[in-house]
Amino acid sequence: MTSVRPKLKPETPKAVTAWETATGQTVWMAADGSWTKEPGQIAAFTGDEAEARLADALKQEGVVTDPYFMEVTGSGGITGRETLRETIRANGPTVAYGESA
Amino acid sequence: MYRYDEFDARIVSERVAQFRGQVNRRLSGELLEDEFKPLRLQNGVYLQLHAYMLRVAIPYGQLNGRQLRRLAVIARDYDRGYGHFTTRQNIQFNWVALKDIPDVLESLAEVEMHAIQTSGNCIRNTTSDHFAGAAKDEIMDPRPWCEIIRQWSTFHPEFAFLPRKFKIAVTGAEHDRAAIRVHDIGLHMRQRGDVVGFEVHVGGGQGRTPHLAALVSEFVPETELLDYLEAIMRVYNRFGRRDNKYKARIKILVSELGADEFRRLVREEYAAQREHEKIALPPEEIARIHAYFAPPELTPVSGSDAAFEALKAEDKEFARWARINLHPHKVDGHVSVTISLKPIGGVAGDATDAQMMTVAHLAETYAYDDIRVSHAQNLVLPHVALKDLPDIYRELKAAGIATANESLITDMIVCPGLDYCNLANARSIPVGQAVQQVFADPDYQEDIGRLHINISGCINACGHHHVGHIGILGVDRKGEEFYQITLGGRADEKAAIGDIAGPGLKADDVPGALKRVVDTYRDLRTDKSELFIEMLARLGHEPFKEALYAAD
Repeated sequence: MTSVRPKLKPETPKAVTAWETATGQTVWMAADGSWTKEPGQIAAFTGDEAEARLADALKQEGVVTDPYFMEVTGSGGITGRETLRETIRANGPTVAYGESA
Repeated sequence: MYRYDEFDARIVSERVAQFRGQVNRRLSGELLEDEFKPLRLQNGVYLQLHAYMLRVAIPYGQLNGRQLRRLAVIARDYDRGYGHFTTRQNIQFNWVALKDIPDVLESLAEVEMHAIQTSGNCIRNTTSDHFAGAAKDEIMDPRPWCEIIRQWSTFHPEFAFLPRKFKIAVTGAEHDRAAIRVHDIGLHMRQRGDVVGFEVHVGGGQGRTPHLAALVSEFVPETELLDYLEAIMRVYNRFGRRDNKYKARIKILVSELGADEFRRLVREEYAAQREHEKIALPPEEIARIHAYFAPPELTPVSGSDAAFEALKAEDKEFARWARINLHPHKVDGHVSVTISLKPIGGVAGDATDAQMMTVAHLAETYAYDDIRVSHAQNLVLPHVALKDLPDIYRELKAAGIATANESLITDMIVCPGLDYCNLANARSIPVGQAVQQVFADPDYQEDIGRLHINISGCINACGHHHVGHIGILGVDRKGEEFYQITLGGRADEKAAIGDIAGPGLKADDVPGALKRVVDTYRDLRTDKSELFIEMLARLGHEPFKEALYAAD
């Protein structure tokens, strides 16, 4: 993948995000370690726990593709340098498309 | 148009079966993404911001009604009811699930389509003039040669792992509508006495280091074309850089060696090749491929058509569309029709499944079952009788694709940008829409005349910003979108790379700034016949830079 992946400090809250392998849809890791498509369910991790969660995600190749850290607030809200990109990944294009265009 | 023979059909269906197995292994986790990525890319499958994207090849931009209907069905059944026609004359589906892609490819194979050569470091879809075989100013039809190049290049083992992707464009008209000077190889068909041949330009391209192609040969006879292309490819394969992706395109090699040295290397390789392993296309094979592209049997009609003239007199909107979206045809009483996919406030190049069905129906009913995709992201019916224009217009209007703006300021090339693309730094589509709104008044647009604005959402330049009369490049500065403006680019036979006008603008400031530039042009032009791009050449860029950065 070529998206910008800024280095995040250990204490910076971060989510684990990826693409669902079967569909390509955006997914995030929820607090229980499952994958969710609901931005409201995004879990924020820090420090060693975050590293462990990403390591876990990287083992799930058939389920998710190219997991990586994304900066979030302590409550899982999208924030930081990549806010626009990650918001578009979460919500879809910022313009109407198809029949609704 | 070309029809598959048994070999074409077999290799395409074998490829689909092979990819089905690869997808199954990916879904089971047996293949890791790093292993799968080169395989999916060889089948046109990208992973974009929020979904997989499937890029389907439309060789030299030509389709028949059955094929366009199939694309519509795929859009409806596997996507979200639309597809995106690209500057490479292909179509992209933005929301296809990986698990469904083998079925989509199987469905495409039934109508002689595929996604081969739409990605990866191979020779990509050969592009051409969207009015090929129809335009009044055309000297020779380039499509048979595009097809010959396609057959030669598909799965050519020597060119499967080039240093970087490779794009060839061919034109057969004096006026270059295929942007050949910004392709890795641009071929301009020429005739010397009875011999047909090609002027060969090499090393053009856009992206982060734009270059215009250098003239490498003034005339290569048609029977020697493949040998000559093979010599170019071999020089590139041997000397092109593989250590740095950003310096791997042939434009860098030609630029670093210089055109003379590159030409010498090609001649040396060509001579060696001709001695030992020449391809020497047999005339009967050239004739066989040409037969697929025989023009439709049109009956010349002198003068205009009464119904066409009557509707023009009665319906101002139709008259405007007829003034703007029709192109002169070789056969009297006929025209080529541009179906604009640039409605004001729409998404450039997008068409819904219903719109694709409408165009397929029109092609089958009135236009000899021939449809083209232009690199400007529009559709074209190349062969239409004047008498059929009123009926065609009514159907296009009902389908929402009768916008009268071909080559006008709102007929912008716009890449998908950050709304879809994983490479993009900034959004293109909303900026394009905002610019369109400023120039939406049809009289204003027509008064401005031909003016190409092209937008890219990153330096890779899929939106051809370097060769827009006005180019817009989206850049990211610490998470904020800015837009750099270039002036003076053009993609035709007078090809030029635009100059950066100055500092980037915020998105909200772009439409107003461009309006000031355009109004400066209207104030200073000698008369309406002087195009914006011609005036830039006459006056220089200074007055326009001043206008661009003037306070509102």
